[in-house]
Amino acid sequence: MKTKFKIRRSDPLKAEPYWQAYSVEVKEGMTVLDALLKISEGDDPTLSFRRSCRSAICGSCALTINGFPKLACSTQILPIAKETREVTVEPLSNHQVIKDLVVDFTPFWNKMEKVTPFLLPADETRKEWVIKKEDEKAIDRAQKCIMCGSCNAVCNSLDVDPNFIGPAASAKAWRFVGDVREGHRKKRLERLSGEHGVWDCVRCVHCTEYCPKDAAPLEAIERLRAKAIEEGVVENPGAKHVLSLVDSIKRVGRLDEAAMTFKTLGFLRSLGMIPFGLKMEIHGKLPHPIIFLAIEGMKEVKKIYSAVEKRRKKG
Amino acid sequence: MADLRYAYYPGCASQEITKEANEVTRKVAERLGIELHDMPGANCCGAGLITDYNYELSLALNARIFAQAEGMGMDIMTICSTCLMVMSTANRDLKKDPELLRRINALLSDAGLTYRGTVKVKQLLWVLAQDYGLERLKKAVTRPLDRLNIAPFYGCHSLRPSSALGFDDPQRPWSLEAVIKTLGAQAVEYTGKTKCCGFQADLVALDTAVGMTGMRLLSAKESSATCMVTPCPFCHINLDNYQGMAEKKISKKIDVPVFHLSQIVGLAMGMTPVELGLSRHLVSAEKILTGY
Repeated sequence: MKTKFKIRRSDPLKAEPYWQAYSVEVKEGMTVLDALLKISEGDDPTLSFRRSCRSAICGSCALTINGFPKLACSTQILPIAKETREVTVEPLSNHQVIKDLVVDFTPFWNKMEKVTPFLLPADETRKEWVIKKEDEKAIDRAQKCIMCGSCNAVCNSLDVDPNFIGPAASAKAWRFVGDVREGHRKKRLERLSGEHGVWDCVRCVHCTEYCPKDAAPLEAIERLRAKAIEEGVVENPGAKHVLSLVDSIKRVGRLDEAAMTFKTLGFLRSLGMIPFGLKMEIHGKLPHPIIFLAIEGMKEVKKIYSAVEKRRKKG
Repeated sequence: MADLRYAYYPGCASQEITKEANEVTRKVAERLGIELHDMPGANCCGAGLITDYNYELSLALNARIFAQAEGMGMDIMTICSTCLMVMSTANRDLKKDPELLRRINALLSDAGLTYRGTVKVKQLLWVLAQDYGLERLKKAVTRPLDRLNIAPFYGCHSLRPSSALGFDDPQRPWSLEAVIKTLGAQAVEYTGKTKCCGFQADLVALDTAVGMTGMRLLSAKESSATCMVTPCPFCHINLDNYQGMAEKKISKKIDVPVFHLSQIVGLAMGMTPVELGLSRHLVSAEKILTGY
């Protein structure tokens, strides 16, 4: 089947990126990478893209295919061509383009470096460390990451704040923070809880949705946050925000918005919200903590909290 | 036809800050003949924040909500996408792993509760698009919204993670557009309708949050939307309440009124701006609703 490929190209010598169309004869089983190779080996040797293993292991060929990040080597053409008639191929979003489909991974690697992507064992002299199955399970998904950059490409926080640590490095960070042998857990978590750190994630769930290896970066971020709180790294708005909801549900069973704002921002920053608060009050939107009623059956909620607490203490 | 009785879970936001969404949903449901049964004992789903604290606590609190719905013999309908996502994710995990369900039920046992794993969680959008059905909805329209160019804003949690939600297509969703068109309005196509409003970072990284809010609104406006609709009260908080801050952040005037899903349904059924609680919005819809 003849299939139209629309490829987003950029030449550093030309000012604007442009679309170029190619027609490729596609056979059953062909992948997007096969098509790109066919184009570059035939019609157009100037087309640039990265690839290596062709087996969805090396992470080199992640591209934006029909609007969403995918590994070119594991994306079959026919199913998508049948649905959309043509296949669009663009470089990964949230990355600077070097040429055509090749993007600059320097910021990606810098962030990886920032999270110290290797084990710093608690006890270097210990020769053998038997890892229990459940300990391995805790970091199992994060270990699947092949560093292809798909998650960073769709991350909504990175799109607004390029300094955000991002899902890929967060997944890598959890792989070591969650490792039972790790010796510098708290220090790592303190760094990850700082500015542009894991608390800046907006939980848009793009990373987990589009990860080609099911590494679930959002789950890693959630676990890093929970571990940070467990280790007492709580002097930041993110952790305070969480703890205020934990407390609010324990008190009244639901969200007490006014108390939460105050506890998260603290006294001074809450004062800064007063003009906005007045505007909200005019429209009847300001939450009134005094009239806030608890849900029915609060006894049950409190019992659940203490059962969870008991289990946590038992480990 | 689906049984149109639901255990109604408006979520915390719509009991306080966006209570107009709750009030209008009740009125619309009553007129459409959708039975909403209150859950006065339902706790907060945790909004994802309890997951950042202790996943077992999050599962146990959600299982308590599910056990209540199970006792009522009904599926849950919420009007909050974040509640939908949190509950659906917990429900997916509890249903697929019997050992996990047993562990969580052990946490509920002191409170005398058990979840058997039989409840489904839906949101108003899905109920309208599927259970109630678009053809029936069309018959309820008395005042087609043919003068409105509405930008559908899904946001994140009614679409992702699709492994837990499994209703709409996260890449090419259709349900919100379908409802908009059924009400007689035009659904505007624009970039960013499935992206984040920024809400979850409001109290943590306000700059990042309102930056996102501004991008979504501006994109809709530039694609000639006259207003926006969202199925999620948290998205509404950012898109409406924080629109002023977003304008400052991106140094551009936006002025796009934002509706809750229930409000545009109510509008098409002849409800007045007062009945729709529009005075509670910070961005006035007056200029686009002259004659309604």
